[in-house]
Formats: sequence, structure tokens, C-alpha cells
Amino acid sequence: MQAIQAEDPDALAQLYDRYNGILKALILRVVHNEAEADDLLQEIFMEIWNQAKNFSAQKGKPLGWMVTLARRRAIDGLRKKQAYARAEERLQNETEQQPDAWVHNATEEAIVLGDTRLLMRKVISGLPPAQQQAIDLAFFQGMSQREIAAKTNTPLGTVKTRLELGLKKIYDGLKELRDEL
Amino acid sequence: MSFEQFQNQSRLYVIGALDPEEQEEFERARAKFGKKAEDFITECYSLHEAFALSLRPAKSSAAIKERLMAMVRARKEA
Repeated sequence: MQAIQAEDPDALAQLYDRYNGILKALILRVVHNEAEADDLLQEIFMEIWNQAKNFSAQKGKPLGWMVTLARRRAIDGLRKKQAYARAEERLQNETEQQPDAWVHNATEEAIVLGDTRLLMRKVISGLPPAQQQAIDLAFFQGMSQREIAAKTNTPLGTVKTRLELGLKKIYDGLKELRDEL
Repeated sequence: MSFEQFQNQSRLYVIGALDPEEQEEFERARAKFGKKAEDFITECYSLHEAFALSLRPAKSSAAIKERLMAMVRARKEA
């Protein structure tokens, strides 16, 4: 990140090689459209380049900063295009097709996973489906608790409890991993 | 609001799931707990990274990188 802050294009190229797969997966999870995800990925790396001076290592790791930025941008993109309805429909279909931690039959072959990735998959797939769904809608679709309650036809208090319990379990899992490392 | 309640709210805050009225109460508690609160919120942002890592990485086209690097180099030379 220091080299990017010093405006070294090769450093950005390295950063891209290292993290484009993670960021693209996140964007794709939000917008559910390959071409839009590619466009957003390019915009996000351009923003990383432009905003690098605002990154502070004291406030966290580069990946965390980039993910926060990518998520915000992807959700903004989704809202701007008023694609909520279409995305929800695709999300429903893709939930059955996409093998990742948010689906119960996740397979992990062909990918070398780091400790965090393995742990997160384990923790998330171990959450009750209702907690997974609430977190998925909040994080990847940018929905508020009220919107989740309306979408899932669930009392607001229940949504709140699901989010709190689910997030705490994930947070505790991360903390445990950090303590071990 | 106790600090434990604040911690629960912080995790909702970083994923943008607090409702407006909760947000106000959260900000009051944030001011009350000061640095301890800020440190905890910073820690909570690690959830973002964790959610991204929970997904299977996706492949992007090589043309994206080429376009990006061309834009960056052009901007640098300008």
C-alpha cells in the first residue's frame, strides 16, 4: 500500500493480481451480473489508486479497507440501476447453483484456502439458515433490519436477534483465529 | 446502553444494518465510550474482510487489468 501511496503503478498491478478474485466475488455477490461486476471491479481499483492516500494501516489491513470500499460501491451500483427485483430473483436461483460458504453443500476443491477463509466458511456454514439469510441480506444486499423483516415476513425483533447472534458468532470465530495466530 | 449492548450494535453498524433511531442511540453511546468504542468499531470492520473471504474467488477478464493499468499510467503521465 505504501508503494501505491507513492503512485507506483506496478504496485497496483500486484495488488490487483492478489485481490481481484476476492473483490470480484464480493461484487458479483451483490450485483449478480458478470459484466457489471467487471466494470465495477475496474472502477473500484481506480478508486483504490485515487484514494490510497486516505488509507491508514492503523485503522486496519488493506484488504479490509478495499472490501469496505468495494461493498459500498457495489451496493450503490445496485441501487442506482434499480435492479433490486431482478437481483433478488437471480439470488434465489443462484443460491442453488453457487457453491460457497453461504450454501450448505459447499465444496472447496481447486482453491487453496488460507486459515481465515477456511474458518469463515466453517463458521458461516455452521450458522442456522435464518441467521445466514439475515446476514446475507444485510451485508451483500445492503438491506436494513426493517427491509429484511419485510422481505422475509419476519418480526423486526427476530431479525435483530438473528443478526446479532450470527454476527457475534462470526466475530468470535475471527477473534479466536487472531488469538491463535 | 451497556458496553456489551454497544458491542452488539457495533457489529450491526459496520454492516449498515442499524435503523435510523438505533443509529442515534448508537452515536450517543459511541461518544460516551470514547476511544474504547472507536477501537471496537475498528475491530468490527474485520467482519467485512471475513465475509469477502468466505466467498469463492471469481475470475475476471484479463482486459480489465489492461484497461485499469492503461488508465493509471495515462493519469500518472498527465
